[in-house]
Amino acid sequence: MADLTLPLRGFGWERIPGAAYMLAVLSASFALVSNGFVDGTNLANIGMQSTILLLLALPMTLILMTEGIDLSMGAVLTLASVVLAAVAVKTGSVSLALAGALALGAAFGFANGALVAWLKLPPFVTTLGTMGIASGLALVITDAQSITGVGDDVVFFYAGKLAGVPVPLLIGVAAYLCTHWLLYQTRFGTYVFALGGNREALRLAGVRANAYLIGVYAFGGAMAGLAALLLTARISAGHPTAAIGMEFDAIAAVAIGGTSFEKGNGWLFGTVLGVLLVGVLRNGLNLLAVPSSLQVVAIGVLIIVALLIESVKDRA
Amino acid sequence: MAAVAETLAGATRDGGGTVPLFELRDISKSFPGVQALDGVSLEIRAGEVHVLLGENGAGKSSLMKVLCGAYQADKGEFLYRGERVAIRSPSDARALGIAVIFQEFSLVPYLNVAQNIFLGREPPGRIPGGVDHGRMHARARELLHLLGLEVDTRALIHTLGVAQQQLVEIAKALSQEARILVLDEPTSALSGRESERLFAMIRRLQSQGVAMIYISHRLAEVFQIGDRITVLRDGRKVGSLKPKDTTPDALVGLMVGRKVDTTYARQYCESPGEVVLEVRGMAAANGVNGIDLVVRAGEIVGLSGLVGAGRTEVARALFGADRVTAGEVRILGRSRIGAPDRAVRLGMALVPENRKREGLALIRSVGDNILLASLKRIFPRGWFSPAAGATVAKERIRQLRIATPGTRQLVQLLSGGNQQKVVVAKWLNADAKLFIFDEPTLGIDVGAKEEIFALIDQLVKRGAAVLMISSELSEVVKVCDRAYVMRDKRIVGELSRHEMTEDSILRLAMHDG
Repeated sequence: MADLTLPLRGFGWERIPGAAYMLAVLSASFALVSNGFVDGTNLANIGMQSTILLLLALPMTLILMTEGIDLSMGAVLTLASVVLAAVAVKTGSVSLALAGALALGAAFGFANGALVAWLKLPPFVTTLGTMGIASGLALVITDAQSITGVGDDVVFFYAGKLAGVPVPLLIGVAAYLCTHWLLYQTRFGTYVFALGGNREALRLAGVRANAYLIGVYAFGGAMAGLAALLLTARISAGHPTAAIGMEFDAIAAVAIGGTSFEKGNGWLFGTVLGVLLVGVLRNGLNLLAVPSSLQVVAIGVLIIVALLIESVKDRA
Repeated sequence: MAAVAETLAGATRDGGGTVPLFELRDISKSFPGVQALDGVSLEIRAGEVHVLLGENGAGKSSLMKVLCGAYQADKGEFLYRGERVAIRSPSDARALGIAVIFQEFSLVPYLNVAQNIFLGREPPGRIPGGVDHGRMHARARELLHLLGLEVDTRALIHTLGVAQQQLVEIAKALSQEARILVLDEPTSALSGRESERLFAMIRRLQSQGVAMIYISHRLAEVFQIGDRITVLRDGRKVGSLKPKDTTPDALVGLMVGRKVDTTYARQYCESPGEVVLEVRGMAAANGVNGIDLVVRAGEIVGLSGLVGAGRTEVARALFGADRVTAGEVRILGRSRIGAPDRAVRLGMALVPENRKREGLALIRSVGDNILLASLKRIFPRGWFSPAAGATVAKERIRQLRIATPGTRQLVQLLSGGNQQKVVVAKWLNADAKLFIFDEPTLGIDVGAKEEIFALIDQLVKRGAAVLMISSELSEVVKVCDRAYVMRDKRIVGELSRHEMTEDSILRLAMHDG
């Protein structure tokens, strides 16, 4: 007999988190004080802009669930973006350029994972190191200049539409569905929970825990490679500092979404809420002409408020 | 489940012969400074419940870990149905049908019941890498039904109570179609009714030919379900007998042995001084309750009991590390309420069980550690003077004979015994009147143990009061003037110098009327 509740597994509807309420309150406030906020184009914009962040935040959720962290994501995204631009300019082939970006991202992710799993290095310091390497390489390759002229085939992935729907939205939805399936319906996903929740139990169950841990980081790197396609398409160029520091927004989105940093306590759909919350906040503050440095302050406040709501809920 | 039943039936068919289902021969395992197992042999027959008994640290846990592949034996061999086999990893053990129900749970908190039961053995779905959740939950429901556990297989593990988690752990072992099941104190978290249900389950498995190794501290249970009893002491097998041929008293005698130890004899305290610590009806957030105890100046008072009886919790509550919820704690007549800093001001010193984590800053120097708790007393103005600090530290190093090249040596490079002395030195500086030692000889070699006892003796001679927590019954008997015994988070008895023997302590500490 088919179980109708199966497809809904893992959404966690029963525990509507602080992020959902905050999203509602924040959207309502922007709708009131800013004229341009509730507008089809603007809302689509929020969605499109959030997609790049989502592509980082989804795997970041899995990495944080293993009690790890990946600080190199923004830098790897940037490096993958300039490589993608360079290949696209030189060969004119989008698929070749994308393949290069994916391979580069996955290689960085694999290196992070291998250092963490095999050499037992702390994830924080390891990925801080690879962050330096990736951001430095991006500057070296480009000579600190933008690589322009990537061509319309690349730009299509941000500005184009399929059946009337912006392409980045399609990519974002597809990425979420794939990651959701991966986390909740596969062995790999089950072991992600176990890596953070009880790694020794996983090992005693005869599972090659290290291989899966490396897989989690490699997945993160590959997703950063995919995000590079959208980023390059959005700015029509490869820019050597385009996404430096974006891991901050990604980690913030995951934390706001209710994933805790211990015991494998993660919630993927919460990350979507967290990403939208960060996106709405940035968009609304832009409409209100708040300088971007102050927006970072606002995101910081948002994280703390979200964690406060969660800890109050826990105590209740 | 049909598959399980088949395997079990198979086990019955060929388990009845004379060849044991599984045999351990001459297993030895040592760790730095400790011979955990010393030539232990054990036979396990199909359909038999083989009880493993022993004091804390007798080697039961090590034996289990060797059996399940978590540790590798230094020496010895395993025979499965008379044939030599190797167990080098957890998967080797699983392949032989060995499943262990660990005391510390091997569950993942944010996976659900079914996912935990089938961790590492998920039924594959149609897409490669996928999991057939429908089948997994159906099989999990069958298993839980068998155990009489009414819980939703979709419930996340961390939302379940300890007893339910224990039963899930058992379901996990059963799902592995185990032929040899190891249960490590399975009833420690269960209520009477749940234990009865577990025993019924054990009998059912027995009739299906599963062999079980059952570790327990509860003697009554041993006679209720055991077919054979093996007693371990100090890593050696000291006896293997049938329940009908023995009595609880005889078992306790075997566990304790007759360890004659004349290397140390202290002059016991004849006339204790004023009351230093007085506890009346204390209960604490960490679970201990009904704690009454008194420690006087010049006395060494033992606090004994089995691991998990609540001794460390008492120490933590007294020190203010865990919240006291009821009752009264007085130090030298003054009420002691609040955080550890107030405990220190009142003259209380805790030498914790886990000195590496709670007692010492390992990567700092000997001198820094000695001064840590008394900086405010030595430098009341807040200006630190390295020279003055070194003078104080050197004096303590000399006084306690700490073997260190100097005050600047890193504490982590010292031996266990000397690290312990550094902790004591730290509190001597802080002018402590009451010392609580939690397992002071844990992981310390024999020679250093004597020095630690001499040190404790020296403390009480100077008028300090000492509360000593120890699992080593022989140590309690040897060192203490009096002892309190704990069981299930309460104090269940007090023994005077003359009443105190290893037997009398163990009898109070165990479930043995």
